Amino acid sequence: MGSPAENLMVKASSLPDETQAAPAAVSPDRRWAAGRRLIRRLQTGPQSAGTGYAAKGLPYLLVAPLAIFIVGLALVPAAFTIIESFYRVNPLDPPTRFDGIGNFHRLFANSAVLTSFGNTAIYVVAGVVLSTVLGIFFAVVLRRPFRGRGIVIAVLILPWALPGVVEGILWTGIFDPSSGLMNGVLSSLHLASHGSVLLGENRWLTIFLIELVQVWQITPLSTLLVLAAMQLMPEELFQAAAIDGCGAWRSFWRITLPLARPGIAVAIVQSLIATLNVFDQPYVLNGAATTGSSITEQTYFISFQDLDFGGGYALSLLITVITLVVSLIVVRAVYRRVDY
Amino acid sequence: MTITVALAAGAPPSAALAAFTKQTGIKVKWVNIDWDSLQTKISAAATAKTYFADATDVDWSRVGQLSKLGWFYPMQQFLNTNAMAADMPQIKSFTVGGDVIGIPYDASFMVTTVNKQMFGKAGIKTMPTTLNEYTSDLHKLQTSGVSAHPLDIPFAAAEGLSTYWYETTGALGGTVLDQQDKPQFTSPSSPGYKAAEWMINAIKTGLVPKGNINVTDSQGMQTLMAKGQVASVFSDYSGNVGALYNLPSSSSVVNQVEYIPTPGATGAAANWSNPDGIGIPKEAKYPKAAATFIQWFTSEQEQVDFAGVNGPAKAWATYALPSHLSAVQAMASKGNLVGGDALSAMLQTSKPVFEGGAPPWYPQFSNSVYTNLHAAAAGSETVAQAITAIANTANGLAG
Repeated sequence: MGSPAENLMVKASSLPDETQAAPAAVSPDRRWAAGRRLIRRLQTGPQSAGTGYAAKGLPYLLVAPLAIFIVGLALVPAAFTIIESFYRVNPLDPPTRFDGIGNFHRLFANSAVLTSFGNTAIYVVAGVVLSTVLGIFFAVVLRRPFRGRGIVIAVLILPWALPGVVEGILWTGIFDPSSGLMNGVLSSLHLASHGSVLLGENRWLTIFLIELVQVWQITPLSTLLVLAAMQLMPEELFQAAAIDGCGAWRSFWRITLPLARPGIAVAIVQSLIATLNVFDQPYVLNGAATTGSSITEQTYFISFQDLDFGGGYALSLLITVITLVVSLIVVRAVYRRVDY
Repeated sequence: MTITVALAAGAPPSAALAAFTKQTGIKVKWVNIDWDSLQTKISAAATAKTYFADATDVDWSRVGQLSKLGWFYPMQQFLNTNAMAADMPQIKSFTVGGDVIGIPYDASFMVTTVNKQMFGKAGIKTMPTTLNEYTSDLHKLQTSGVSAHPLDIPFAAAEGLSTYWYETTGALGGTVLDQQDKPQFTSPSSPGYKAAEWMINAIKTGLVPKGNINVTDSQGMQTLMAKGQVASVFSDYSGNVGALYNLPSSSSVVNQVEYIPTPGATGAAANWSNPDGIGIPKEAKYPKAAATFIQWFTSEQEQVDFAGVNGPAKAWATYALPSHLSAVQAMASKGNLVGGDALSAMLQTSKPVFEGGAPPWYPQFSNSVYTNLHAAAAGSETVAQAITAIANTANGLAG
């Protein structure tokens, strides 16, 4: 394994340009110089591209569609949300007027919103922990090639591809007290009596079961992210560790996990965003009941049921700020740059 | 010109739409959107003052809100709504302050259904006419072993629970809000309070399956009543006998379920209207063409066709019951409507849940109703606490 420059030099020698024209027995210095010329060309573009305005504008032109997309569909609405969250925007109570922190004040005086904050915090903790642990577990299992690995990965991705509403409906049947699979299993194990109500009665159990459904959905992406990080790990490291007497368990803790930290950090952040914004599963499985309602459900009710758009903007802003802050904390705590 | 019609239902038969186009020169682009998303789109488009559709859903529960917001054209600007009202009793549910916000295109109302075979097995030969008799019969069904849990009440925190409570309150001779939108259910002797107590007691005593804590109205009808798991739905949808319970593909109780006059405090009670309406948003591109379409779409002739009276080719699969009383009566007399005589009598006397139209803040009120009644059924609140919370919401919103 050489330096990045050496690797690039090796690759460059296979390209059909002047570097390939070099004779078979070329000195290392000349090969190094050819590699540097190639890097310069890749960085600056071909000489024939010229230095005109058209050439200079090309990169901007290429980036423009994406930039317009991001500005139009993300930045402008975000700015609009921030501004409007300080206004009273309610068509039932016109006109739209500046309200300072009035929307935020009303939100924190709304018991349904406060309960949903508590519920969402439990969704986040349970969801992030479970999906990350399971994601790492499945990634370790799938890391080594085995017969049918591709099929297993395809099957694993399925829950991720299903819409949340469909999953909610599917799991409604599984959690059904009289005919559901979950109740059947629990009663056969003498862990619950037949016909026990799983959702809606006990807040903690309700939230845990709803989150279990979401974990089923988001774990595949966590697995793929961690698996991608693991695929980059050089096999030589594990071979060297084995020669030094390092067992599988120690190798996992000392090599695999530390080197997978970039992937794990991204997996945690995606789980965090998904669980903070959970909507479909609690809405389908538990309706608007306070035992499981999430912040995004409250955003929907406030905005589109009550038509208090100002309140909806304010709650959306709070969710965004919480997501950003917690994501940054996670990235700082978990992410480590890894170079091979 | 082409108008866009957005409803939470699939398109009527293409031949019918083609005939409308031939007759008027107006083409129809039909958009089927689920009910929740449709309400969101209506609100978002109206707030942004952008075009969304030329004709779309007007839910009876949002009529007060839509009237105050001025998001829809008053239909009397385009159609002779006074003349229509004579044959469309449920047009009252769409009328606020003299303005007709939408025209009912079907005649849904709440009605009691019973599985007569199960009632018969329990030795009940005469159908109950009062709520006390009804409750007593449900206990007989339970004790005789015919049904462990004979009653369906959808306790999921969703709109169906609110509607069930309104119907039960009405059956006991009361109303939820008065003309000034003040709560009428806070006293323990009031029909609203008693209705809530009756519903919560029903699940506590096992008349209702425990699992109903998270069952919605349609789920209960499809998976409990249609499968013979329960013997009665106190607040069912009109049309369900023909459209659900008598369909062998979706029911195991074919020809066993019938409508009965809703058992009330002292006898048969009136039924609350729960119709679907169609109106014209202010941002419509072609409001006059949309009005022409609505007139055709809600005409007696088309409704009879949609109901399948003139053959399956003209039937509209998702259609429940015509909103024209004359159409229902004609269907009943020809034997084309299951339980037709009972339905036409009930349609004639069906009443809007809110006499003066639903208040503008109805969605918030309903949210409070279903979340608190759900909490009472789940045991995290008492009936008294739930009623107090609902009343506080109503008082706070009414100002």
